[in-house]
Amino acid sequence: MTLWIDVSCILVVFLALSVLATNRIVGMIKIFAVQSFILSFVPLFLHADAVSGRDITLSLVTMVLKAILVPAILFWQIRHISMRSEIKPLIGLGTSILFGAVLIAVAFWVSLSLRLPGKLLSSLVLPCSLATMLLGFMTMVTRTRAITQVLGYMVIENGIFLFALSLFDAMPVLIEMGILLDIFVAVLIMAIVLNHINEEFERTGGSAGRSKTGETV
Amino acid sequence: MSSLLNVTFPVLAHWMIVCLLSPFFLGVIARVKAFFSGKAGPPVLQPYFDLARLFRKKCVYSSTATWVFRAAPVIILAAMMALSLLVPFGICKAPVQFSGDILLAVYLLALGRFFMILAALDTGSSFEGMGASREAFFSCLSELALFMNFITLALLTRSISLARMIGADVPIVWGGMEPTLLLAVASLFIVLLAENRRIPVDDPETHLELTMIHEVMILDHSGVDLAYLLYASALKLFIFFGILVSIIVPVRTGYPVTDTAIFLGGMLGLAALVGIVESSMARLRLNRVRLLLLISFALAFFGLIVTLWRA
Amino acid sequence: MLSLLILIPLLGALAMLLPVRAMFRVWFLCAVSFTYALIVASFWRQLPAAEWNGYLALDPLGLILLSVNGLLFLPVAVFMIGYFQHERRNNRIFTACLLFLMSMMTLVSASYHMGLLWVAIETTTLFSAPLISFHHNRGTLEATWRYLLVCSVGIALALMGTFFLAIAARDVHTLLLPAILNGASSLSVNWLKLSVIFLFVGYGCKMGLAPMHSWKPEAYGQATGMVVVLMAGGLTQCSFLALMRVSQICYKTGLSGFYASILLVTGVLSLVVPAVLLLGEKSIKRSFAYSSIEHMGILVLGLGLGGIGIFGALFHMINNSLAKVVMFLTAGSVAQKYGASHASLVRGVIHTYPVTGVFLLVSLFAGTGMFPFATFHSELLIINAAIISKQYVLSGLAILCLAVIFIGIAKVVLEFAYGQPTDPVLAKKENLFMNITIALAAMALLCLGVWMPAPLHRVLHDAVTLIGA
Repeated sequence: MTLWIDVSCILVVFLALSVLATNRIVGMIKIFAVQSFILSFVPLFLHADAVSGRDITLSLVTMVLKAILVPAILFWQIRHISMRSEIKPLIGLGTSILFGAVLIAVAFWVSLSLRLPGKLLSSLVLPCSLATMLLGFMTMVTRTRAITQVLGYMVIENGIFLFALSLFDAMPVLIEMGILLDIFVAVLIMAIVLNHINEEFERTGGSAGRSKTGETV
Repeated sequence: MSSLLNVTFPVLAHWMIVCLLSPFFLGVIARVKAFFSGKAGPPVLQPYFDLARLFRKKCVYSSTATWVFRAAPVIILAAMMALSLLVPFGICKAPVQFSGDILLAVYLLALGRFFMILAALDTGSSFEGMGASREAFFSCLSELALFMNFITLALLTRSISLARMIGADVPIVWGGMEPTLLLAVASLFIVLLAENRRIPVDDPETHLELTMIHEVMILDHSGVDLAYLLYASALKLFIFFGILVSIIVPVRTGYPVTDTAIFLGGMLGLAALVGIVESSMARLRLNRVRLLLLISFALAFFGLIVTLWRA
Repeated sequence: MLSLLILIPLLGALAMLLPVRAMFRVWFLCAVSFTYALIVASFWRQLPAAEWNGYLALDPLGLILLSVNGLLFLPVAVFMIGYFQHERRNNRIFTACLLFLMSMMTLVSASYHMGLLWVAIETTTLFSAPLISFHHNRGTLEATWRYLLVCSVGIALALMGTFFLAIAARDVHTLLLPAILNGASSLSVNWLKLSVIFLFVGYGCKMGLAPMHSWKPEAYGQATGMVVVLMAGGLTQCSFLALMRVSQICYKTGLSGFYASILLVTGVLSLVVPAVLLLGEKSIKRSFAYSSIEHMGILVLGLGLGGIGIFGALFHMINNSLAKVVMFLTAGSVAQKYGASHASLVRGVIHTYPVTGVFLLVSLFAGTGMFPFATFHSELLIINAAIISKQYVLSGLAILCLAVIFIGIAKVVLEFAYGQPTDPVLAKKENLFMNITIALAAMALLCLGVWMPAPLHRVLHDAVTLIGA
């Protein structure tokens, strides 16, 4: 099963890079959904010899929450105003990809000095989760729109989730914490919805346009 | 005398196979595209007919063109034929192989491209100059990805001879480095599309568009020269197909017939895949092509990092 | 007793959701805060026993934070009586979130498990967000957004840090603090270092330390005064407790030097950045927000310097929260009267509202650490620690920054207090409840400045020995 974990890890990093390399919000959400979908299988791969009810539960919860619910909420949110159009990132997409490649290298380089104690099914989990986090962070920093920042944040979160899974046996409490973080994401999205409603309200009031901090939702 | 024959015979045999087969796959791709657009399409052997027709015609040269323009098609075809000697195709082993020939392979590719660009500039047409500049820019990026993938393969197979990197040692590598090889294959496929100017990058069908790359550079060539160029691009496609198929299906059953069948099946499958990609995608805008190539580079780079990590 | 202290506000928060009159909720909040403060005060005689298999326990560090919470919620509750006499907005969600926040902040002070600590701090972020956007308008929603974004990234990093800590403490098999401290020798140093960095950056975001401070001027500038008091005085110090827990672990594992260097660099940066940014500031709330960054920098500096510096930092925690009560309640009271907190709209407060004007001056002196307020003493202790440890450049830089910050804040506050009077838009009267609260907090700060009670000294001393001197 190491093969499947390896492939999942690499796909997760590659999809994180793809989120960074996309400037259409719809595309970004779809890529994120695929990434979460792949991630939701990792618990099953980790215990392929004896899949327990807990693995299945975790896998299902992840799939429903991250691969279906969160993208659905995001799609629902962008349906309202014309923001399917392309967004201009702070730095060009080509530069982002090159930076992303460098970040992947950095993640692997950092992981060189960190060996996970104990037996692990795949040595790629740690560097790949770090790389995913860094790429998500990069997405957050280079995009100015609230929704893209949330996407970046959720990519970071997927990286953390990948890492948490590798600790699954040792630290059961940690998984619960990861799920809590998911709930947190949900609240974050609600905050945007709120912000969004407000913007709509303001637009009908006549003062459309960008705010003083330069953020549009 | 016999030693000379020993050297020349495999080379000639290799050339014969390569030269006979290569236009066939252009026909296959065209046929797949025709099928997907619901047309009958030209016969599979159409490229052969085209070549035969062009070989019968005379060349026309512009008054501003110099010797570079006349020499380029020959040099390009020669470079591709030399390159084909370094690549194994199925059971046909590469007749020329030595440690480090991978560099020669990359430089032969570059030589062909160099003369293609020179010839395009030599015509003095602004149209062709534009194509030349695009060719130079995109090949910068695709060469980077290509090199990166070759480094990965070299590290995996511990050899710097093309024939070993994509031939003999690959089946062993598939035993444990699948993720890396998958990345390399994905990256190489994008490079294949870009180097051969297939659809998401360039449209080989159109001839008079402002955005095209390869076809615009050969606008001034005619007759036998054009036939040479057409042949050279068919060879290039064939070589890239050969490299990719050798990595994807490194099956060695030991029976020549089965091996050949598997190899040819792989080649046909790849041609069909290219055809499907071409019929399902639109040509990308020029600035998106850059992104595609950068993604290919990132894939290759990622593959390299994972290889180093595992090593 | 500890779980009771967490449950009381939690049940209170649920009760707040019932449909009752707005003022009833405020009085109920006062009652809960008062009970809370009484229970916390009883802990000063006798520390409560550990509960939930040791997940909940109170040590002197937690006790200080808990007392700070008690000190904050009581004045805020009393201030609210005055505030909601004028405010028509429905306060159901507001008061409920306030009590949830109280409960979670108690959980932070009492959690003895690094994972539980993370969960508690994460939850405080959630419940404080609706408080910032109490007035639904573009500005507050944007500030809430900024706050959520920065803090959620921080909290994600802290989670990663907690995971790393879990790996470092793999041989201990738990994240309970005493177990980690006892098994300190078996921790893997590389992982611990990584964990320390992530935990520091993560909780530092929540604390609003210098490179991660961008949410602070926005959030503090937009939220109402009472909320900012809780955030600047309470929430940020909750994260400081987490940093102190990390410090405890570092002390036991011999990583103190490594951690101290991070703390000192960030601390100095948190003094320099507000000093620079304050010079162009025209809004009183925003300039007080920069002052909050500065105070966080002072706390971190004290923790990094060690010895007497830690003592100073712990003392400063209490002083800072009292000073924040004075500063932000005054700012809130001004904002409620004038409907603005920008210097172009508010001037000459001392002529129109003499009492509030005096409070403005008091908050200037209390907030910038002037004699005889207690903030002066704690800052002096920390600078003293810097000089003792021969960090002359650092102490010089710190003093310079404090001076510049004083000038920056004085410029704004004096213009507010003494400038050509402008007409208050909302023209409300001085409110007794508001003024009593601010006056009491200022008195307390003054008293601490001239006399430190013996029990306080003892607890501070005990707390210092926990972090290591």
